Amino acid sequence: MTASSLSSNALTRDDRRFGFRLTAPAGILLAVLLLVPTILTILYSLHDVPANGRSLGPFVGLENYTIVLGSSVFWRSAWVTFLFSVGFVVLSTLIGLAMALLLNQPFIGRGLARALLIIPWATPWLMIGILWKWFADGSVGGLNAVLLMIGATSDYHDFLSDPNSALAITIIAAVWRQASFAGILLLAGLQTLPGDLNEAASLDGANLWQRFRNITLPWLRPALVTVTVLNVIYAFLQFDVIFAMTQGGPGDATQVLSILIYRQLFGVTQIGLGSALAVILGFVALAGGLITVKLLYARGSQPA
Amino acid sequence: MKTRDTAKTVSGGLDRRAFLKAGGASAMAALLAPGLAGRAEAAGFTGSLDMLAWDFQPDTIKTLVGEWTAKGNPTVNVAVIPNLGYSPALQTRLRGGDAIDLYYNFAYNSQKFIDQGWASKLNGLPGVDDMVGDMFESARAAYVNAAGDIISAPYFSAVHMMHYNQRMLGDAGIAAAPQTLKEVYDASKTLKDKNVVASPYVAYWVKEFCEEYLHTYLLNEGVTAFDAAGKPVFADDPKTEGVFEWWQAMYQDGLAPKSVLNDDPGKLSNQMAQGEAAFFVLHHYFLSSIRSLGGPESAHVMQGPIGGTNHTFQIGEVLQLGAGEDPARREAAWDLMKFYGWKDSAGKFSVFNQWAKAAGLAAPYPGFFTDPDVIAAFPDYYDLPLISKTFETGSKVVPARTLPWYPDFQAKVGDVVHALLLGQATPKQTVEALTAAANAAQKGRSL
Repeated sequence: MTASSLSSNALTRDDRRFGFRLTAPAGILLAVLLLVPTILTILYSLHDVPANGRSLGPFVGLENYTIVLGSSVFWRSAWVTFLFSVGFVVLSTLIGLAMALLLNQPFIGRGLARALLIIPWATPWLMIGILWKWFADGSVGGLNAVLLMIGATSDYHDFLSDPNSALAITIIAAVWRQASFAGILLLAGLQTLPGDLNEAASLDGANLWQRFRNITLPWLRPALVTVTVLNVIYAFLQFDVIFAMTQGGPGDATQVLSILIYRQLFGVTQIGLGSALAVILGFVALAGGLITVKLLYARGSQPA
Repeated sequence: MKTRDTAKTVSGGLDRRAFLKAGGASAMAALLAPGLAGRAEAAGFTGSLDMLAWDFQPDTIKTLVGEWTAKGNPTVNVAVIPNLGYSPALQTRLRGGDAIDLYYNFAYNSQKFIDQGWASKLNGLPGVDDMVGDMFESARAAYVNAAGDIISAPYFSAVHMMHYNQRMLGDAGIAAAPQTLKEVYDASKTLKDKNVVASPYVAYWVKEFCEEYLHTYLLNEGVTAFDAAGKPVFADDPKTEGVFEWWQAMYQDGLAPKSVLNDDPGKLSNQMAQGEAAFFVLHHYFLSSIRSLGGPESAHVMQGPIGGTNHTFQIGEVLQLGAGEDPARREAAWDLMKFYGWKDSAGKFSVFNQWAKAAGLAAPYPGFFTDPDVIAAFPDYYDLPLISKTFETGSKVVPARTLPWYPDFQAKVGDVVHALLLGQATPKQTVEALTAAANAAQKGRSL
């Protein structure tokens, strides 16, 4: 069967109806769970919606967007979101890749190590936040004990009370989970890599780096694109870990856009402003994902 | 919110058992002799009521409403949700159409909930004027707005007090508990310099709680932050900047631990109990937490007024009546509300008495402090006349806190105060930022 034989032109009316029936349940589910809330959020963002939600309230056009984009609180939060996202995406992808490469090598206890990789991924984001809050605690946290033991520090530090280290620790906590997810996907990709490719390259005199650069990495490209795009989206939408660890503090040091949205929508119930923020964040996450895909595929299309 | 969590952690287990016993005894008595269990307060309603509370001693809540039901009243379905995020969760439920007959709420949300049609005014309900009349004059404005609308009933009340370690002060050669801000600074410095304790002063300076401290310390300096109309008059008083200078110095000079920006009050109480701190300003009932932790310094921790002016902040979270329109149901819910937030049918503060036993919580009624059962319920280490006097003449509720725009301001205070403590803003800039936050909140829609 060729691709052209599957084109819509070749499908009979009955085939198209059958296809429509097959996809209809998923389509309806998506419409209800995704499309309706999206449309509502956009509608809310154009109104001054009362907290009780009994009506849309007066139409205000783009006023909510003007308020959001004219606020230094928004831009500060956007900058924090950007910093968090860069750290999260880069670290979780690289660490995930490193873990996948390591767990693809034969060694005693590899099965156990692979099983352990699942644990962070199986732990809910909120639990990760609570665990890391205690781990990073300045008085009783294990992180200080570890750093003291390896000689990286000479005294206990209150990481979550310092604006710079608080952001870094929230990134590390979120990466701890997401890297295992990246590792699992990339390991699955590595396991499909035929062993004779690397053997042939070795016989031709390729060193470890050359084999990684020219064989492993191109082979993993589809999985890497998926992982990176998901990481970008997870980064922009991250909420639970940061909220559990710092609630956006100290000050506004870790107040990413999702926390600002939570505060506006559910705390002070300014539904219109919160919805405008949500729409903006949605576009940013979508754009981030699309740009990542474009960049990765553009790089992949270049001759090796 | 976390304050109540702490008390739960500290005293929950033992008290819970006691209350379950009490609840069991009450239920047994009611089963054996229904006629003796008191008159039915809500005889006209035969269904069940829905009540929502945050998770401070949930077993006690259920026992208390069980006692009410055992008197021939309707059953009450009590739902309990975590206090962290209670307000967002409650608003989401109400927005989604949940009909809740009676619920806990934060005082600063109370007028907003009336305005949004999520809660009912209490005016005209039988006995409500007596309830308000029973209150301390100082407390009334938290429950009755400027227009005379009665918007809520008390769930519990507290006054901010200074907790200090008497032994540590003695070891450092400090004869009496410091009174003024300068004296607290100097005493903390002495304690630190003499290596009595590394970080003498702890405060519940997490973002969501900074607003309470704002009022506590401003009132202590004789400044009421907002006038009755909600104008941020703190901006015009030079003492405000002085308070912020003091806060910044306490944090920046290492007299408070760096971690206080994130520490929950359970940890702070424990630091007092373990001797890792010498001063702790928070609600009076935290003395129960500190003492019941049984740390090496617990018994040395005393309680006194904050500052020499004896002016502090009176807080209290509230009960609100749902907006249901069924008269019989509403009457039953009001009966439950009276029982839970005022007195039982025998005229006793039975619910508040239980909360006093459980965690040292108080009620904003002078009669509460003279009730022999209540006096017996408070542990001996409390100076009950001092707390009563503080309620009566030494504290204010700041009526502007119940205005509908206030939650928006409350949400903004934490960021501003943290910037001050971290040295990112000067005291003057902090005054300006808080004034701007108050004005923006009143104007509507702002981040």
